[in-house]
Amino acid sequence: MAIHKAESPLPGLLYHKPEPDAQPFKAPGDAVALGDTLALIEVMKSFMPLEAETAGTFKGYLIDDGEHIDAGDHFCEIEG
Amino acid sequence: MSRSFVTLKPGLQTCVQELPGRIGFLEQGFPLSGPFDSWSFRQANLLVGNDRDAAALECQFVGPTLKLDADCLVAVTGGDMRPTLDGSPIPMWTTVAAAAGQELALGAAMTGARAYIAISGGIATEPVLGSRAVFHQAGVGGRALVPGKVTPLGDATADRTVWTIPEESRPEFSRDKTWVVEALAGPNDDWLSPDTVQTFFSSDWRVQAKSSRTGIRLTGPEFAFSERATNKNADHGQDPSNIIDHGYPMGAVNLAGQTPIILVNDAPSTGGFINPFTVASAAFWKLAQAKPGEVLRFRRVDRDEAGVLRAALDMLTRPEVLQRA
Repeated sequence: MAIHKAESPLPGLLYHKPEPDAQPFKAPGDAVALGDTLALIEVMKSFMPLEAETAGTFKGYLIDDGEHIDAGDHFCEIEG
Repeated sequence: MSRSFVTLKPGLQTCVQELPGRIGFLEQGFPLSGPFDSWSFRQANLLVGNDRDAAALECQFVGPTLKLDADCLVAVTGGDMRPTLDGSPIPMWTTVAAAAGQELALGAAMTGARAYIAISGGIATEPVLGSRAVFHQAGVGGRALVPGKVTPLGDATADRTVWTIPEESRPEFSRDKTWVVEALAGPNDDWLSPDTVQTFFSSDWRVQAKSSRTGIRLTGPEFAFSERATNKNADHGQDPSNIIDHGYPMGAVNLAGQTPIILVNDAPSTGGFINPFTVASAAFWKLAQAKPGEVLRFRRVDRDEAGVLRAALDMLTRPEVLQRA
């Protein structure tokens, strides 16, 4: 089993949840399918979904909810 | 047969832009729009033999994938989005000959935030209120590209010369996440305390993720106001940063409460907040290329210097800068 670190193509603010009081998109142990939304990036007053490019098991976020992220930064780990 | 391209992947709000933008409708609330980084935009057009102000694509943070339906010349300038043609990397700042059926793909910006794609013949969408420039949020002149959309191109000349922009004539992107931005005091600097005016020009201002083609929102020190702002006729409004509605110049550092917002291409033309500072037009391209989290430092210039900078930039966006590749 390899650990894949998902990378953000965009700089902005990372959100783990679709809305402030919603559950996170993924919790450790959740199954991840290709194309699943893992997080949102806020940039240019828009929210862009970051979708899974590998399937597997979600291990956790690497950047806190609402924190700044740079393009190329890893934001979560998926084991698969 | 008419020339065109089809959008396969749209990128992030990729829009057609044109210069000088939508002139003459500010009083009705239509912003100028047009390319955010006109330096890179004009050089892209020059590389493919177009008039430097012809309609071309502005890509933001993540570029599109386009299928070209005609033989054409393409050029990609601005932020490095690692362009490929049918999967093979192509150089930026250089003319590239493309054949009908080929796919031009741009990725995420490695440096800067905005890239420009010019195609020989220019983009031939229908002008709205005199311009092809897109004001995406209001849908004026069209909207951002969407998958499957066919975008018409104008007729190109037979010239196939391959040009490049020498490195010294290209915009120099920040390597340390800091941009020195030339700005003037005024028109409303007298609404701030003299200390705050000093502080503005000596502080680091971080670009917020909530920035867009409407405004670049900044985080930095608190503003203190002068007597003029705190002890004024009630018609001006309650907050020290309020003023009777007035016109907003392009590049104005608009102060809403304690948040400075630099008004750029798609910004409102009037409103009731003060504009204590104004970015020199020759520095607008830096605002286009600064990413969220990066830092702006403002260097104070006067009108004369702003004019000299503007003239220098104009010279860098003329056909004389092209070199044979």
